[in-house]
Amino acid sequence: MQALGFILRRVALLAVVLLAVSVLTFAIVNVLPGDVATAVLGDMATPEQVTAVRAALGLDQPLAERYLRWLWAALQGDFGRSLQHGQAIAPMLSGRLGNSAILGLITLGIAAPLAVALGVVAALKPGGWLDKVIGAIAVGAYALPEYVIGLLFILAFSIWLPLLPGSSLMDPNENPFSRPEALVLPIAVLITGMLAFISQITRASMIQVMGSAYVRTAILKGVPRWRVVMKHALPNLLPPTIAEIGMYFGYVIGGLVVVETLFSYSGLGQMVTNAVSYRDVPVIQAVVLLVAAAYGIGNLIADVAALLMNPRLRS
Amino acid sequence: MNVMTDLAPPVLDVRHLSITYGPLKAVRDVSFRIAPGESLGLIGESGSGKSSIAFAVMRYIKGAASGEVHLAGQEILSLPEPALAALRGRVAAMVYQDPMSALNPAIKVGEQIAEAIRLHRRAGKAEAWARSVELLTRVHLPRPAEIAHRYPHQLSGGQQQRVVIAMALACDPQLLIMDEPTTGLDVTTEAVILELVNELRRETGVAVLFISHNMGVVAQVCDRVGVLYAGQLVEEGTTQQVLRAPLHPYTVALMRAMPSIEGPRRRLAAIPGRLPDMRAPPPGCIFAARCAIADDNCHAEMPALEAAEQGAAGHRSRCHHRDDIATRLPPEPLVEEADLAELTAGRPRLQIVDVQKSFRARPALPFMRGPAPVRAVDHVTLDIAPGRTLAVVGESGSGKSTLARCVAGLILPEEGAIRLENDVLAPLVQKRGRGAQQAVQFIFQNPDAALNPHWSVAQIVGRPMTLYGFERDSAALKRRVIEHLEAVKLGERYLSLYPREMSGGEKQRVSIARAFAAQPRLIVCDEPTSALDISVQAAILNELLALQRQHDTSYLFISHDLGVVRHVAHQVAIMRQGRIVESGPPSAVFGTPREDYTKALIAAIPTLEPRQAPALVTA
Amino acid sequence: MSATTLPARRAPIRLRVGFGEAAGFLLVGAMLLLMAMGEWIAPHSATAFNPMHTLEAPSFSFPFGTDEFGRDVFSRVLAGARPTLLLAISAAALGVVLGTVTGLTAGYRPGAVDETIMRVMDALMSFPGLILAMLVVVMLGPAAINVVTAIALVFWPRSARLVRAVVVDLAQREFIEAARSRGETSRFILFRELLPNVLPIIVVDFSLRVTSGILLAASLAYLGIGVTPPTPAWGLMVRDGQQFIEIAPWLVVWPCLAIALASIGTVLLGERLRHKLALPGGGRAR
Repeated sequence: MQALGFILRRVALLAVVLLAVSVLTFAIVNVLPGDVATAVLGDMATPEQVTAVRAALGLDQPLAERYLRWLWAALQGDFGRSLQHGQAIAPMLSGRLGNSAILGLITLGIAAPLAVALGVVAALKPGGWLDKVIGAIAVGAYALPEYVIGLLFILAFSIWLPLLPGSSLMDPNENPFSRPEALVLPIAVLITGMLAFISQITRASMIQVMGSAYVRTAILKGVPRWRVVMKHALPNLLPPTIAEIGMYFGYVIGGLVVVETLFSYSGLGQMVTNAVSYRDVPVIQAVVLLVAAAYGIGNLIADVAALLMNPRLRS
Repeated sequence: MNVMTDLAPPVLDVRHLSITYGPLKAVRDVSFRIAPGESLGLIGESGSGKSSIAFAVMRYIKGAASGEVHLAGQEILSLPEPALAALRGRVAAMVYQDPMSALNPAIKVGEQIAEAIRLHRRAGKAEAWARSVELLTRVHLPRPAEIAHRYPHQLSGGQQQRVVIAMALACDPQLLIMDEPTTGLDVTTEAVILELVNELRRETGVAVLFISHNMGVVAQVCDRVGVLYAGQLVEEGTTQQVLRAPLHPYTVALMRAMPSIEGPRRRLAAIPGRLPDMRAPPPGCIFAARCAIADDNCHAEMPALEAAEQGAAGHRSRCHHRDDIATRLPPEPLVEEADLAELTAGRPRLQIVDVQKSFRARPALPFMRGPAPVRAVDHVTLDIAPGRTLAVVGESGSGKSTLARCVAGLILPEEGAIRLENDVLAPLVQKRGRGAQQAVQFIFQNPDAALNPHWSVAQIVGRPMTLYGFERDSAALKRRVIEHLEAVKLGERYLSLYPREMSGGEKQRVSIARAFAAQPRLIVCDEPTSALDISVQAAILNELLALQRQHDTSYLFISHDLGVVRHVAHQVAIMRQGRIVESGPPSAVFGTPREDYTKALIAAIPTLEPRQAPALVTA
Repeated sequence: MSATTLPARRAPIRLRVGFGEAAGFLLVGAMLLLMAMGEWIAPHSATAFNPMHTLEAPSFSFPFGTDEFGRDVFSRVLAGARPTLLLAISAAALGVVLGTVTGLTAGYRPGAVDETIMRVMDALMSFPGLILAMLVVVMLGPAAINVVTAIALVFWPRSARLVRAVVVDLAQREFIEAARSRGETSRFILFRELLPNVLPIIVVDFSLRVTSGILLAASLAYLGIGVTPPTPAWGLMVRDGQQFIEIAPWLVVWPCLAIALASIGTVLLGERLRHKLALPGGGRAR
């Protein structure tokens, strides 16, 4: 009952937040000083051209009405037409959304368990050599932007040692699994970035858990060390760590934008950077809304998973 | 204690145990034995090293230990890790101070007990579970088969401690180590747990090492007692010998500082000074610096732990004057005249009129119905006379702290009024005028949290005087701050100190100085001494009494400790589930209680006299 | 049990190293020096074309080599310190100041004020950082001040959450109750009682934000957002040099190294701050 209430409240909150996101997205595009029409046409446009574009985009209507109309269409999957390509946006999104999801989910699937394992191992002997090595790698991975790590990987594994393709260029509707070797480097970059955060957060919580009174109780009950870690520490460590991992979905999404651009991988990230350089405002709005929704849902799933693993909150 | 058990090999034999944490010498050369079935209590205040000793017996310490610890014939300190794990939980098992944090929140309590049985007895899953239910029955938990499936947070504090005890008993250990097992529990729950310990001792013959700061608790469950001070065993003997005829000045001082509800009312005697520097302990007697009868020899030469010439062989004291201590020590402080009991007639200083406050949990969704509100304070009406103390006594959850916060205007009550002399105070403090704000001050329970860590003592004590506009000139302000500090036995050198540089007692003195700096008419004291050691508590209570007499201040004194209340209160109100169940002068409430709850509360207090086994109440 | 007992979110990242605090000082010091006078130390112009020396490998006269227009990479890397670091530091400062004010207000005023503020922060937080920054810069136009605004907007809700969490925790402490029962004003409690206790956390947060600021600014520049050629921003240099990675790897290696050193320096220094900034009274325990 308590858990159900929590989930309901969390879903309601997500709906409110997504509504706020849509308002913000709309507002940033429409209220900030940069006018969409001038953004499209550039500074050299004549006033007549501007008026024409504004009419074409419906910019001459009241703000609230435009917002409601845009939101209503978006809810039905109609994000309008791309200014750059003139095509409807929705069909452009679907293939790319799948491609990005493949990168992101594989990354999470590998990075999350690996990072938690590394954090636990590091915490078993704080200050030991293993802890120091993991810590140093984490600092390095944290301090470098994804493209720096990516370029290092490209230099190492595709130029000096020509093992893997340095570019993952493909048609948006091509199945990425038909060329799995092209996925290796982008995923490796994303994993490296994620390891840094999660392993160090896990390490800190694990040290705290291992110093807790209930772990002391287990040790003084004569429970062997490995069993203390697996049966007594982990069940308490995982729920907050999973919720924490949910917080870093946003980080993965940011990483996707950079990595897709770096490897010319046709996903949402690459789409949005392209749209940005062409000031293709409807595409930007669509992608941002989609990404925020994905982020919110991911976060929600993580929180609910954490909740279901915690007996304190489940009952 | 009989001769047979003395001859049997001891369950626990600790020889010359020393423990250091870096430069800190926490325990020095401590030796003691526990015979099978015997129960030894170790008494000490904070910094005495009592918990370090308890955990050293299990070899679970961060510091370095030297000496020998023989547990059932095996030397623990040199044992390899796997052999140690086989002993832990099987030969010796532990019961902890805070059961809530000692139990794993993510594992069912039945499984936490069954685990040890499977590990040490190689029992099957079903067999171990059945035994764990049996153990829960053993510790008198109602519906044990159902409780075994619960998680710790679904149990009350008393139930949690029973689970911890059941877990400790899982493999029929020869020794139970109990580290302050009832600290933090309500007094009625404490009595039940202590009786359970006695019952288990009778029926299973398990030996007990009992760590406590509370002499009354130790008297209830221990055959023999050791008194620890600053890492040394200063006195040892049977419970009767040590608590009835102590041979060490520290033990005597502790007894004289302990508030009690038995016998005639004494003046509490504080122990002057503070613990010695444990990095460089003095060469002579460790207690010499604070001892009333210390001479030059005491400061120069460390006394041995020996029996007195005329005394029983087992009663040993680490004091040069053990042979004639009774004649050397100053007499017990005078029994005070009955001035506390008398009531001044006339208008009350503060009136609490029909105050009610309930708390409502938030519903899951804004439009959903939440759980029914809980009445924390239920139509309470009380008066406090000028210059007098009204003590409100209750167990946890009785609503006494909520009542205190309503008086101070920190919480908005739903109904009722607070009257200060002629004025009805606004319910919330920020709506009260400067005069009313100044007139009511607050002293909090936890001295660590009550002072802003980023403020110096000078700022803390000076603030009320600048806020209420008593003093604008900075030199005069400094003089007044020093006066207030001196009134609580702190001096000028404290001005520039920050809270974390002071001990708990010193911080509480600063809190008191801050309250009096406002020149209040009433001070709300919310458990002002419950976080402090007994010897410090005595000093703080004495200072509160002296300041009250000097400034004619009224106190609303919130406490769970009837002994403390008896020493400070002119009027007592017993509070339970938000209501005042009984009130009157202390002599009446303690002497001839009318209500069953009051009687139960008084009966539950552990005194130095062992209780006859009452019928077990399930808490 | 209510849902509020969900584990509190901890500080965003807990990185620690057992070495190199001095290296942190050194790196940050060097970077600040470059920021102040990189352009004057540079042996060549950062922007002038030199068709005689295009895509030259590192040599004595061009220690980091030259790019496709013959510009000296060494000079460009030196000059690039300012656009990157200045952006990061100002954005971190702006974001943390905004976050502190909002977090203090929300934390000390439970109820409607807190709810409203934190829902707005939640909405801002539900954009992944880089996406929000992109969106804002695109709409405001490519200018340094707009990049600062965008990054600060990313940091704002995150700092606010952190400060609020600390304030909510502190506000339950008895010294705050003591101040309230004395009759102190909210302003006094916020700025004299709470702020000194939050300040160390704010400073450490600021140092973390500078690191993320460097990373965000470099990523935006790499995506071609907010800076335009020929500005010698490190991220932009990587972006432009990437096409020549097989024949002239020095075009990406040196700016990448510069970014790495700057952000590692700030990480190490932030670590140092975290250890140093405990409580007043230095290490004088009782």
